[in-house]
Amino acid sequence: MRAAGLVVAAFSLAGPSFAHDGVSHTTQAEAAAHAAAVPPGPALPLPFDVGGAFVLTDHTGAARSQADPAGRMQLVFFGYANCPSICSAAMPMIADTVDVLAGQGVMAVPVMITVDPARDTPETMAEPLHQMHPDFIGLTGTEAELAQVRDLFGVESKVVFTDPDHGDVFAHGSHIYLLDGAGEVLTLIPPILSAARAAEIAARYADGI
Amino acid sequence: MHLKRMGAGAVLAAAVCAPLSAQVAGERIQITGEIIDTWCYFSGVMGGPEAVVGSAHHTCALWCSAGGIPVGLLGDDGEVYMVLKLGDDDASAGGDTQLRLASHQITADGMLYQRDGLNYLVVSEVVADDGIVNLSHDDFGVTPGFAIPEPKE
Repeated sequence: MRAAGLVVAAFSLAGPSFAHDGVSHTTQAEAAAHAAAVPPGPALPLPFDVGGAFVLTDHTGAARSQADPAGRMQLVFFGYANCPSICSAAMPMIADTVDVLAGQGVMAVPVMITVDPARDTPETMAEPLHQMHPDFIGLTGTEAELAQVRDLFGVESKVVFTDPDHGDVFAHGSHIYLLDGAGEVLTLIPPILSAARAAEIAARYADGI
Repeated sequence: MHLKRMGAGAVLAAAVCAPLSAQVAGERIQITGEIIDTWCYFSGVMGGPEAVVGSAHHTCALWCSAGGIPVGLLGDDGEVYMVLKLGDDDASAGGDTQLRLASHQITADGMLYQRDGLNYLVVSEVVADDGIVNLSHDDFGVTPGFAIPEPKE
């Protein structure tokens, strides 16, 4: 099995039933109960100095900044549209999270900032992203522009190997950043959570904006 | 349990700005536990919690970290701490330090931030590294078996 295929296999087997955080569960019922629990305490200001102003190019070729023109919350992920590893799990989870939030009346938009501008161009990003969610926004730019944005968010990225069939496979930071409509980072969401749990976290911040 | 709370006020990692309140600022702690693959540990898709830690899961943990899965520290207190930064690697996955310490039992000194019901850990120093001490392959073999690819013919 090729390396990229192994990674795909690992992530494609994932299901939401045991997805949870911080606590080990031995049964699905126990995990589900924990996943449904409301996080303790209020939504707190982020103690990390991450995020900031940027301008990149979206999948339509238009300029887009850190702010959402419609003022929606944003779930921002650094990856690439054809990523065989963590993106193949995290981006569908983000898409599902947006739908869960919409069901609660909270408007949010999924955003991917590419780490692979050679393959993720305005012409190529839309189709794979929109297979995951029709509102998915892909952002690309020059290598320098993207490196600057990664620095803002403390994200590292590098090619770990080149698959003969797939091409370059990147290792990259995979936490999801929850931004408000103005582009301020509200919190992190680990990519290992279920969509329900991620939406629960995001909704707490929606109450305050 | 080997959880030593040292109180706030020590040196913060470079990625962390000034605290906004005691609750937000986090606290400096030392935690002993195993560096784990959080995806397989939480998802349960590769087996139960005991099968996806230690030597049985070491190879898969390397793949997952290289693929971008944030590593965690499964403390001896049973809590999982999501690692945001580990030593010299300003990343949560895939860096040389994350790969070198996969499945190792370590004692980490750093800052703990609790938010949204989750534990986040910025490790400033690994003060002890006991290597892989959980020889779970004795009970579970390689988990999952396909973590070690068949050689190409």
